[in-house]
Amino acid sequence: MTLDRIADHTLCRVSAIRLAAAPLEWLRAVGIFEGERIEILRRAAFGGPLHLRTGSGGEFALDRSLAASIEIQPEA
Amino acid sequence: MSANKPGVTVLLIGRPNSGKSSLFNALTGGDAKVGNFPGVTVDVLESALMLPGGVEARLVDLPGVYALAGSTDAHTDEGQAIAFLERAATSGQRVVIAQVVDATQLALGLRLTRQIAARRLPTLIILTQRDALHARGFTLSPEAVEAGVGFAAVGVSAGQPGVRDVITTALAALIARGDQATAGVDFDERAVAAAAVTEAVAPGPRARTQRALTDRVDRFLLHPVLGPAAFIAIMTALFAAVFLIADPASTAIDLAIGKLGDLVTRVLGEGLVASLLKDGVLGGAGTVLAFLPQIVTLTVALELIDASGYLARGAFLIDRALQAVGLGGRSFIPLLTAHACAVPAIAATRIIRDPRQRLRTMLVLPLMTCSARIPTYSLLIGTFFAGRSAMFRGGTFVLLYFAGIALGGLASLVIGRASPKRNARSLPLVLEMPPYRRPRARVMARVAWRGTTRFVREVGTGILIASVVLWALLTVPAPGRHAAAAADAPARVVAMHDSVAAWVGREIEPVTRPMGFDWRINVGLIGSFGARELMVSTLGIIFGIEDAAEDNDSLKQRIREAKASDGSAAYSGLTAAALMAFFVIACQCTSTVAALKRETRGWKWPLFVLGYTYGLAYLAAVLVYQGGRALGWG
Repeated sequence: MTLDRIADHTLCRVSAIRLAAAPLEWLRAVGIFEGERIEILRRAAFGGPLHLRTGSGGEFALDRSLAASIEIQPEA
Repeated sequence: MSANKPGVTVLLIGRPNSGKSSLFNALTGGDAKVGNFPGVTVDVLESALMLPGGVEARLVDLPGVYALAGSTDAHTDEGQAIAFLERAATSGQRVVIAQVVDATQLALGLRLTRQIAARRLPTLIILTQRDALHARGFTLSPEAVEAGVGFAAVGVSAGQPGVRDVITTALAALIARGDQATAGVDFDERAVAAAAVTEAVAPGPRARTQRALTDRVDRFLLHPVLGPAAFIAIMTALFAAVFLIADPASTAIDLAIGKLGDLVTRVLGEGLVASLLKDGVLGGAGTVLAFLPQIVTLTVALELIDASGYLARGAFLIDRALQAVGLGGRSFIPLLTAHACAVPAIAATRIIRDPRQRLRTMLVLPLMTCSARIPTYSLLIGTFFAGRSAMFRGGTFVLLYFAGIALGGLASLVIGRASPKRNARSLPLVLEMPPYRRPRARVMARVAWRGTTRFVREVGTGILIASVVLWALLTVPAPGRHAAAAADAPARVVAMHDSVAAWVGREIEPVTRPMGFDWRINVGLIGSFGARELMVSTLGIIFGIEDAAEDNDSLKQRIREAKASDGSAAYSGLTAAALMAFFVIACQCTSTVAALKRETRGWKWPLFVLGYTYGLAYLAAVLVYQGGRALGWG
């Protein structure tokens, strides 16, 4: 399952990121990386970005097309 | 900016919005802009820093970076920071890194530490937000960070007394040891963070309130329906406030300047020196100065949006709409900044990682309503819509702002369609959302003061000089030219009609007549190419001279009562509308052109902006004036 498809406020963990090397490295550096816990707080209207909180304490706006490249595993 | 000076260089490095600029100010007593948004520092700032033991260091505040490795466009703020670090590290000088880490996001900050460690440079970790952690019921142990990472570490709080001593002492000790970096690159940042930040007590009520407040406010301000509505309401209130709150103060200053003019006439009479002071200085530069309250109101309102943390929320809300015209959420920051001034906004585009999106943002920025347009808008609205309600006048003012925004979107769309790479996908949005923070009154007061002094300085130098030059050109006769001033006009009015400026203004009347402009407006238009404010100052000078024999009416009244050479009214509401349409679009600002040249490294794009904005401005003004006349509105 990819991050864009998970319901709001469901805790999940990033299992893989399918991106080219440069944007992948940058995304990891920003704070979204394999193994990180993520919770989607809300999503903007009309297919706008997701607002998410990570286990490391960061909150981010993330484009939905990018979220579709992030594989996640829902947490129990 | 050179990275090749001798001595010790201390580089402040950290993730965006980690508190670097606050620390830079605390260490240097400086006044670097501090905001609550990632990407506030887009330039490299530096200052001398005296350390204990008499060591003089150069402190450099670099733009925020997430990573030192990986490919980053050299023209972005991150690219500039990395390039500066590379140059400093290979210049042979002593370089010390002071990494600023937000302790509330310690694990994220330590990811960058690992990359810094790979550079093998002496490093001090400065952990900020210690008080915020404590308020949440956690304690911070810099010793655990030192033990886990291998770099010296100190913990500090915002506004903590003696923070400068703590950091300079630690830096001096690091430099005195003269050692190389001892950190390994294989530490587990989450394990280090877990050891360094430990739960001590139950979170205090303040912490719960702060977190809950951010969540509660976001539930409303980022709501899919209410959020965009609130966004539009906030923007509308911002622009309306500039006009409605500040207008009475501007009118009062205008009156005071008028009284000063009376005093000049009473003391010095009607001679040339009196005209220079009354018409050139007070009528020209003084008229612009009357708009100080509006400029300061705008500056403070924009700062409130920035400092509160709403800027990132705005980017979140508007990202989809901006994507539709080929821009993105990160474009929102420079676009909003451009409502104060396009020059720093052009520099702020460095936070946009996509080069094409960055260029498009730069090309449409001059269409945003900068503060230099405010005097002209206010004067025209106050002059020609004086009889309408404050709501109507405020609404017209807001409409001009939104007209600039809409045209910017349209221009971006057209530029994108004309671009050969129009199908290429832009880099999608990834943006940190900082917590809301209460703007500090002291910071707001400083911003207001800075805005006041900057505007007064601009008016007191460039605008004043240009006003005196314009006065001179409106006084010196053009050889062999005699215009048809009214037969009973005073000598000074006749002389102005025969002046060099009037002659030039009349020569271009055939071009500007379709817009409803006469020679007076033409002179203002020429002057306003240097700075838009000169339109108002030119009208102040011209109507000041024309009013020489009258009874010191206000500028607005003089403009309303202005006569054409055939004795008919020179201007109508339609002339004002056409002039406002021209001002909304034309890039009448040499500083913006220079900034575009600097950022795009050539003349191609500045000339493109000049060409398209002036061409469109002319067409729009003709359309408004001629269309209005055809509809019988003239």
